[in-house]
Amino acid sequence: MKNIIRRSPVSFDSRPAKTEMRDNWTVALEYEAEETGPYLIDLSHRARWDFQDVDISKIQTWGMNVPESPGQCLFENGIIINRMNRTQVSIWHLSGAKPDVPDNPAFTDVTDTTVFLALFSKDIFSITEKLTSLYFLDPLKETPFLLQGPFSHIPCQIVTLEKIPERSGILFTCSRGYARDIIASILEAGAEFGLRPAGENVLIKWLNELWG
Amino acid sequence: MNRLSQLPTLRINPAQKISLNYKRKTYQGIGGDTIATALYANGIRIFSRSLKYHRPRGLYSLDGECSNTRMEINGIPNVCTENTLLKNGMTIKAQNVIGTAENDLMGFMDRLDWAMPAGFYYRTMHKPAPIWPIALKQVRKAAGLGKISPDFQMNGKYEEIYPKADVCVIGGGPAGMSAALTAAKQGLRVILLESRPWLGGFFDYRAAEYSNGIHLFERARELAKTVSETPNIRGFIHTAMVGAYNNNLITAFQVGGESDHFDERYIEIRADSVVVATGCIERPLLFENNERPGVMQISCAHRLARTYGLLPGEKAVFSIGHDLGLEAALDLSNLGLKISYVADIREDGQDPGLVADLAKKKIRFLRGWVAILAHGDKSVKKVTLSTIQGTHHRDVDCDLLVASAGMTPLTGPLTLAQAQLAYDNHTGCFLPKKLPVKMHAAGRLMGLNDPLSIEASGNLAGLMAAADCGATVEADLKQTRERLNDLPGPVRGCKLVQAPVKGRKSFICFDEDTTIKNVEQALEMGFDATELVKRFTAAGTGPGQWGIPGHNLPLFVAQYLEDSTVSARPTTVRSPLVPAFIATYAGRNHDMCKRTPAHDSQKSSGGIMRRSGVWKRARYFSRDSGCREEIENVRNNVGMFDASTLGKFRIWGPDALKALQRVYAGNMSKISDGKVKYAAMCNDDGCIIDDGVVVKRGENDYYFTTSTGRAGNTVEWFRYHTRYDGWDFHMINLTDAFGVINLAGPNARKVLEKVADTDVSNEAFPFIGYREFTINNEIPVRALRLGFVGELSYELHVPSSYMQSLWGLVAEAGKQFDIQNFGLEAQNVLRMEKGHVIIGSESEQRTTLHDVGLRFLWDRNKTQAKTVGAVALKQTEKQEGRLTLAGFKMENPSHTPKDGSIIVDSSIRGYVCIARFSFVLKESIGLALVDSPLAKEGTRLQIYEDECKGQHLYGTVVPTPFYDPEGKRLRM
Amino acid sequence: MALTITCPICDKRNGYEFRYGGVDKGPRPDEEGLTPTSWCDHVHMNKCVAGIQKEWWFHRDGCGAWFTIYRDTTTNLEVDKPEAN
Repeated sequence: MKNIIRRSPVSFDSRPAKTEMRDNWTVALEYEAEETGPYLIDLSHRARWDFQDVDISKIQTWGMNVPESPGQCLFENGIIINRMNRTQVSIWHLSGAKPDVPDNPAFTDVTDTTVFLALFSKDIFSITEKLTSLYFLDPLKETPFLLQGPFSHIPCQIVTLEKIPERSGILFTCSRGYARDIIASILEAGAEFGLRPAGENVLIKWLNELWG
Repeated sequence: MNRLSQLPTLRINPAQKISLNYKRKTYQGIGGDTIATALYANGIRIFSRSLKYHRPRGLYSLDGECSNTRMEINGIPNVCTENTLLKNGMTIKAQNVIGTAENDLMGFMDRLDWAMPAGFYYRTMHKPAPIWPIALKQVRKAAGLGKISPDFQMNGKYEEIYPKADVCVIGGGPAGMSAALTAAKQGLRVILLESRPWLGGFFDYRAAEYSNGIHLFERARELAKTVSETPNIRGFIHTAMVGAYNNNLITAFQVGGESDHFDERYIEIRADSVVVATGCIERPLLFENNERPGVMQISCAHRLARTYGLLPGEKAVFSIGHDLGLEAALDLSNLGLKISYVADIREDGQDPGLVADLAKKKIRFLRGWVAILAHGDKSVKKVTLSTIQGTHHRDVDCDLLVASAGMTPLTGPLTLAQAQLAYDNHTGCFLPKKLPVKMHAAGRLMGLNDPLSIEASGNLAGLMAAADCGATVEADLKQTRERLNDLPGPVRGCKLVQAPVKGRKSFICFDEDTTIKNVEQALEMGFDATELVKRFTAAGTGPGQWGIPGHNLPLFVAQYLEDSTVSARPTTVRSPLVPAFIATYAGRNHDMCKRTPAHDSQKSSGGIMRRSGVWKRARYFSRDSGCREEIENVRNNVGMFDASTLGKFRIWGPDALKALQRVYAGNMSKISDGKVKYAAMCNDDGCIIDDGVVVKRGENDYYFTTSTGRAGNTVEWFRYHTRYDGWDFHMINLTDAFGVINLAGPNARKVLEKVADTDVSNEAFPFIGYREFTINNEIPVRALRLGFVGELSYELHVPSSYMQSLWGLVAEAGKQFDIQNFGLEAQNVLRMEKGHVIIGSESEQRTTLHDVGLRFLWDRNKTQAKTVGAVALKQTEKQEGRLTLAGFKMENPSHTPKDGSIIVDSSIRGYVCIARFSFVLKESIGLALVDSPLAKEGTRLQIYEDECKGQHLYGTVVPTPFYDPEGKRLRM
Repeated sequence: MALTITCPICDKRNGYEFRYGGVDKGPRPDEEGLTPTSWCDHVHMNKCVAGIQKEWWFHRDGCGAWFTIYRDTTTNLEVDKPEAN
């Protein structure tokens, strides 16, 4: 009996054109007519960890340093580390092979705690301003940076990867239970800009362009 | 009506025909028309009837200053037709009329004004007492203007945005545009709000010279073009600012244009600095019948012609107190309006050029004269002019009377932001005196009139706003200040408040039909402050707020009180400054709720999902709201329940135990490996706020659950109560990380055995045990053996992404044992039979741990931990007069009292927390919080249920648990 | 809506994102010798100053920090710099 699968809390109306099975997850790689975006992508299958320690800056994870101050993020080897506060970071696996789980009680696997989404390509800040008063275009903030606050009324962790209008992008997580409502809300807000679901491939391609 | 079609100032497109329906007829308007101008163009002069007296009302202003032209549009009442653009096929109805606006059967009310003095219904209709209920009905019927059908559906798309700005400029006239451009030049992000559908303000329609042969309207367009070409200015047109709050939070409503994806949207702007450049409206002239259709303000008459191509009348008389009136008279005369007289309230001070031009046009110009009476039943036919002393009179025939006493700065946004206003003797206006930090005012609002001064003051405000945002602009500021000083300052304004009349039909507020006489009545009765007069007479409480009475009311009060310093202030305005649709405030759907990972599985099994706190949960699995089948199946076979909403947390670190000891009442150092500990949290009053279980998964590493409702507050609670201690512990909320299946019933083990990869026998996994194992060699499970519903049961915590798979596996494995889903209601009955409490159901804010019989969860000996609630628990341990939880059995099992019914004797002695018919016990049983003496076993409780009509219900206090008191079934 | 709170981690934010934690009263007192009145006073009595008070706020929708700010209760505006927890 092998009908054991892991399910993302996200379900879009349109069906993906290309999928693959990965660690019991069905991952959408492509959708029909993805065109130029803006895109909303479900990344809930990507591993996430919470990492807390009183001396957090002294600890290295996979050879990466923890960003110096809250709000800063660090992207390396397909992993993004977001400094949340004095003692806590969130770690999101974005691309490449899934890294091994560090053997350290300071880590908690939180993959299933949140829904993980990417919103990118053009017009995305016209969409976000309909959903939140959080401001992503602050000239004083260097990408990538983390904002923690309400997005469509739901507390989120939001990482701005790029602010340039034609190729901007954010990644964000919120409580898993809100997945359906937050997605409905984002899609509704983005309808006038042609926001559509897309598969993981287009994001990987975009990340490669962004960070090489 | 033929339009003037060659004017460069027009904002209409005569080629675009738009039809509208009014009074069962179809009329034609044109592109660019507002509803009001389209009706006016079709000869409609009476738009509505007034609130109390049903007086005919017409077009008086063009920016929605009063309710004269508020009409019902496509079923929406009270729409301001002056600034609502005409759309094809609109159906328009006049308001507050029986019959038509022209022939209103209620028109006789105007002659009954003697019977309706100020505050008449406060004073007259309550004596003798039986009158009031009758009067009330009549007053209710008469009150209000528009009516809405109760089943009216508001169509359209309503949205919201939260744009960010360094500087927010309110008002897109010359001062506002200058301020925006100046601030933008400093590299700042600027938002510019303009309530009309175009930028330009009071330059937009004027043909007078700006400078060097450029007309004002040309200058306005030049500025507007520059603004639109400046990338860091974001302009919002057709956007009325409605609110200003602390920290420069500005709210506004935008009306969508043709290409927009919304009908209206709410805009909330947090700006570092704000510039208010809202300009002026006109101060209405107070004389008899001053609101008769055919009487209108200067800018209304002028803009009808210049913006909409409509000559406002045929034969006009002007009674004004400002040079703008002279300018308009000349311009309109050039456009073809016959003007017989221009009466200027002012004896002197006019622009000599304008006076000379009037003479050239052979328009008779009277200094120190004013209109005192408009004749004509339904619209103006004649006007009586008088010297301002009232010594000489002259009657003049006309169909248009342009009347205005002076200017009223639109200080609403400033008032909302708590700026101080003061009366200025020179201009005769209330001008801003002290502004809040990082808020600036510019333009006509400051009493300025000269075009160059207005722009310079905009520049100055823009620079000050830039300085607020950290720009270095000192040199520019100095230079601009000097330039402004060299330009003409505010001009002397007209001070006349009331023409020499008695004022029985001189309206100080149109919306509420408040006359000068009403205000005098209020003052005579001792209401000696403007705010009190406002409340007693209702002046300024209509949709236009102070659009009409804004300056006149305080000035009139000051005159009456012989207050030469005019210490009276304009009455407070409130947001929304402009009436706004509630639909726009509501915006998009904002209700966000959570779904458990078993949501879809339960729904497809017939679960009826209901909102419960932040979650959607399965309430029932059948149409039987008593849930008999669900309940009996748990008692006899096995049921599965989605408990994923439980709060779930990890806490770890060197000081984790200290933190647990602080917030849990019990002694948390006594948690054995492989066992769960039931524990409760109290607040500092010893009142129970939460219960749950704690397990120890490793050294200084715990996993615990909380009730559903506390999941969102638990980390906050731990951190709050340890905030001074500097302890080293970490927490993470795993509520959404795990789905939870509660597998309960005598056959629960048989089901679990089939799927678990471990020995789950009673010996290997006993009651209150904790185990971690896998299911189907794949799904990691944290299993807790508990008994909330009073049967053998397991809580299986699995990663949420596996929940649906596990749900399917368990359902499949349980098939042979008749496994069924059970929902919240069934669980509620099951746990009640077992006497288990739910925090919030059997407890309330005042309920201590002692009161609900959970004293055993408190350890009195850990004083060093400074446990939250411990002090109060000690102090209330033996306290008398508390409500205590008691189980009861109904004498008549066929009638179960409703939850919340009260326990009574000669007074209220408690209430029923929950009561249900128990299918297993064949009794009606329940739990109640009662005065402690009543909690004694055997006490007869008298229960008063809503609508019991004096027939009390009776129950007897019995020991709990009702079901399986020895607890054998949990340990099976 | 209008209130803003400056979080030491997330900077100035809309007041709706925060939960109020009361005026700062110092660490929990020792349990010895507390009478019902003195305990009740400690828990419930506030000075309700018209002016500047030091108070606790929790960034519930954001970083999850408890911190103190100084707020002028007459203007509902923050003064001074908040302290980090």
